[in-house]
Formats: sequence, structure tokens, C-alpha cells
Amino acid sequence: MMEEVNLFNDINWAVIAPILVIQGILIIVAIIDLIRIDKTNGPKWMWGLIVILINIIGPIIYFIFGRRND
Amino acid sequence: MQWWTLFQKELIENVRNVKWIWVPLIMILIAIMDPLTNYYLPQIIEAVGGMPEGAEVQLPEYQPDDVVMMSLGQFSTIGVLTIALISMGTIAGERNSGVSELILVKPVSYMNYITAKWASLALLVLTAFALGMAASWYYINILYGDLSFGALLQVLFFYGLWLTLVISLSIFYNTLFKTPGIVAFLTLATIILMGLITTIFSHVLEWSPNYMSDYIQQMLITGSVPGELIGTAGVTIILVILLVFGSASIFKNKELAG
Amino acid sequence: MVLLNVENLSKKYDRKPVIDQVSFQFDSGKCVALIGPNGAGKTTTLRILSGLLKPTSGSITFTGIKQHDDIRKMIGYLPQHPVFYKWMTGWEFLIYTGRLAHLSKKEATKRAEKLLERVRLTEAANRRIGKYSGGMKQRLGIAQAMIHHPTLLVLDEPVASLDPIGRREVLSLMEELKTDMTILFSTHILSDADEISDELLLLHDGRIVESGSMDELRSQYQTAKMELGFDGNLDDYQKKVVAMPAVTTCYIDRNLLHVTVTDIGAARLQILTAASTEQWPLTSFAINRASLEDMFMKAVNS
Repeated sequence: MMEEVNLFNDINWAVIAPILVIQGILIIVAIIDLIRIDKTNGPKWMWGLIVILINIIGPIIYFIFGRRND
Repeated sequence: MQWWTLFQKELIENVRNVKWIWVPLIMILIAIMDPLTNYYLPQIIEAVGGMPEGAEVQLPEYQPDDVVMMSLGQFSTIGVLTIALISMGTIAGERNSGVSELILVKPVSYMNYITAKWASLALLVLTAFALGMAASWYYINILYGDLSFGALLQVLFFYGLWLTLVISLSIFYNTLFKTPGIVAFLTLATIILMGLITTIFSHVLEWSPNYMSDYIQQMLITGSVPGELIGTAGVTIILVILLVFGSASIFKNKELAG
Repeated sequence: MVLLNVENLSKKYDRKPVIDQVSFQFDSGKCVALIGPNGAGKTTTLRILSGLLKPTSGSITFTGIKQHDDIRKMIGYLPQHPVFYKWMTGWEFLIYTGRLAHLSKKEATKRAEKLLERVRLTEAANRRIGKYSGGMKQRLGIAQAMIHHPTLLVLDEPVASLDPIGRREVLSLMEELKTDMTILFSTHILSDADEISDELLLLHDGRIVESGSMDELRSQYQTAKMELGFDGNLDDYQKKVVAMPAVTTCYIDRNLLHVTVTDIGAARLQILTAASTEQWPLTSFAINRASLEDMFMKAVNS
């Protein structure tokens, strides 16, 4: 039942594509939101770096801790 | 009418602050994390340099129901944490900033105010959870084997009740405290405490909501809904109702300024 | 017609009274100023009236409302520092509060349009409130307070946090509003109260120390004071003036004779008669009416 998948050459796209899409949406939404928002907790450029550099988790911690909702 | 106005405002707010985008995405990630890493574990181990000489990993063959439990396991930790964090300021934050002073001097029914907040949170969280489990189901079917749609629905229903209880706890603490951090902390602490009490008094607390996952697993293995799961679901629903009504009555008798 | 009657209202925190046995009443159609220094209990009083706080004891009677009916329907309230949902536009906020106050969608739309025009925010209506200036927020605050046609408009320090331009805007708006509704507002700035209110309530240390219309209070606290200017040495004239029957004290300060009198009319006659018969070299003669500050200090100290 385990099929041979070479991690780098023979990627199973049905498996990987959804994750790439989710990651892409998260980064894009986070960046658009970061540009539009008035103020963040802490400097904006820092959140920009976090969103871009930290895979997947970056945008999420921005949404939870960086945004100011009021 | 007024309830609908309050509910709509919550929905629009969660669209504008992009919660309706990222909460479903994070729930999907939570749900598919374990199914994927477990499936690709051999390749991952190889990619990071392989096992030392002589060490042999015997990876278990996972069945679809094991994988469902992996996803639920992640929901019960990271998922619950996420819910506590996104809901901690829903009322506390409004009281803290002072917006509630403008809203609650209007003839707003406190019951409407609380239940609209509760319902909009539940809608967001349960939709996100359902999408997450649907993603998990997708991977289970292509990587591990068949899991029936009916079984998925049952999982969604029963585990959804548990998540609704988490939301209700958060709403409850939201009416008691003005600091969002304290609300999140107490929500999480209560869930952990409930778990401890359930473990200690396991012989009398057969229907404790904390057993929800265990009974769901039983249900998946046996293919039929165990009586304990019905009991647990009932207890959970009663707790949810008590918490929501309790929140409204606390709010009614509370001084809303100062 | 009496609109609001407050009797023996007290609010205690840990047994310490913030307001103590406060009683007052006023008629509909009046503009009433609640004056007092910071910490006198103004905000607490207004919050109790608007239902945000519960009084420890005392009663509030509102004419035209049944017992157990929601008092919030009758009151439009603007807190001292109104906070809005920054992500909403001014328009959306007004519709939202209007709908919360049970207006239909159509009514709320009509009312929001009218009020935005009245508080001169029509142009900014579709901007996010997060981008509004302090004066604009205060005006939006007044608009939301009026959205449901309240009988009484309660404004807590409506101009305290504004710059001079914002202050002027809000004060002239209140001036307009008071022609067709009852307003109760608090302030620690006496000249604001003087400018727009019909009636004053003086609050000090949680108690109402004085109340009444502006004119009533003026005549009650009329400390008649006169200032006389002379060409030449003041000492001789001081002795003469202090000897007059209607004069209580007389002292010299900055080349002026400061005279306090028991009766303005009598004192004026005595001084002017002496001045003309004895040919005093008078350069100035002024009668000072009590300022609101004097009045307030007197009321507080008595």
C-alpha cells in the first residue's frame, strides 16, 4: 500500500499541492493585511519579516499576536 | 431582529479582520499535519540523514481510524489553543477598549449580545473544523484507505460538540474578566483541570466531556455509536447551555463601566 | 414638566461614597450643566443615569416611562472618551446602533443620513472611523447618541478632550440641539456651562452643593465688588470710602481701590456723591459681577 515516492523528484502533487496553496494564501493575505492595517503590536517591518521568513507559522502568529483588533 | 443585527456585525468583523480566511486555513493545517508526516516519515528520516547503523524503525501500519484520531489529537491541543486565542477578546476586549459603553447603553438585550457572539464564534470555529476534517479525510482516502463519509459526519458532530464547549467556556470567562489574556488562560486552565479531574475520578465521571475523543475512537473501531458517547454528548450539551445562560445572567447583573 | 427626578442617589465603592445623596430634577427642554472639578462624581452620576452603573441607593424617575421599562430607550449617551469599532465606517456605525435601538432598516438609513448631515460628517460617512479626528469622533458620538430619538441626551465632558476648533464645532452643535431636545452634560470648564446651559448643578465631592438657573445663582452669589481708579494718592480716599455705611472692606492693589459692598445701589450712590461734591480725581469706576469661578468657590466653601 506504500507507494515509492522520491521526496525531491517524483512529488505526489495530489498530496503536496493543497499545502503549497494554503501556505501561499496565508502569506498573501498576511501581507495585504499588514499593508492595509493602521497599527500592529510592534513594528510593521518586523511582522513583514516574520510573515515572509517563517514558513506557515509566520503568518499565523502575525494574525494572532500582531494584529490589533479594536 | 436585534439578535440578527448583532450576529451580522460579528460576521462582518471576522471577515474584515480576515479571521474567516486564516482560521479555516490553520484548522486545515492542524488536521493534515499528522496524517502527512506519518505517511512520509520513512522518506523524512532518510532525507535528514537516515537512521544510525543497526537501528531499525518499525513503523506501524496505520488504519484510517488511527489517522482520524491523530487529527483530533492535534485539535485537542493546538486547535483548542487557537480557539482560546481567537475568542479571548470577543467581549473582554470590547469592554476593555470601551466600545461596549456605546453599544450597551442602547436598549440591547444582554442575552442577544452574548448569544450572538457565541453563535458567530461557533459558526467560524465549526466551519473551520469541518474544513480541516474534510482535508484530513481527503488525505486518509488517498494515503491510508477508505473512511466512509457517514463516519466523517459522526466525527464532526461529536467532536464539534467538544469544541463548542471550549467556545462556551471562553464566552463565560469573557463575561467575568476584562483582560483577554486572563480569559484565554482560564479557558485553557479549566480544560486541563477538567481533564485531570476526569482522570482521577474516571470511575464516576463516565460521561465527562473529556472522554469525547476516546468514545469517538470506539465508535470508529466498532462502527456503531456507543452508549457512553450519547451520554457524553448529552452532558456536553447541558454544560454548553448552562455556560451560555450563566454568561448572560452574569452580564445582566454586572456593572458595565468603570 | 419635570422630565427627570433623581432622589438621594448614592454610589459607594468599598463603603466609600463616590456620589452621596445626590438629588436634582429638571424640566424637559432644558439644557442642564453638571459642573464640578475632576473626581467630583460627574461621570459616575451620568453612568448611573444611562444604566451603565447601578446605584447603591436612591431612585431615578423618568417621566413618560413605565416601571420596569428599559430606561435606555429614552436616553442617548455619549461617554467622555467614546471608542468606536475602528473597522466600521461612520455610516455603518450609525446604522448599527440604530438597528440595535430597534429602528427598521429604512428608519435607520433615513435617520443616519439626517444626523450625518447635522453633525457635518456626510463627506466622511464612508471613511473608516479609525481615520477620524478627535472632533469628528465626538460629533459621530453625538450622532449615535441621538439615533433613536432619545428624550434626554446625556453628554459626559463633550468638549474636554478637543482642540479649540473641535470644541467650537461641538459647542455650536449643542447650541443648535438644545432648541429641540433636553440635554444634560457634564463639564469642568465653567465658561462652557455659562455659554450654553439654562440650568446648573454644582457637584463637589459627590454632593450637589448648589443648583439653579444661571441668573438665580448669579443674584444669589452676587458679591458686589467695585474698583476705583484715582489720579494721585489713594490712601486718603481709601479712608473715606471705608467709612461709608454701605462698604464692608476696601484695600489698595495695583493702583486701584478694591471695594466690597453690602448693597451695590447704595454704595454706588454714596461713592459717586462724594466724588462729585468733593471733586475726586476719579479715572475709573467699575462694578464687577461675580464670575462663575467665584460662585463655584463660594458654593464649595460654604
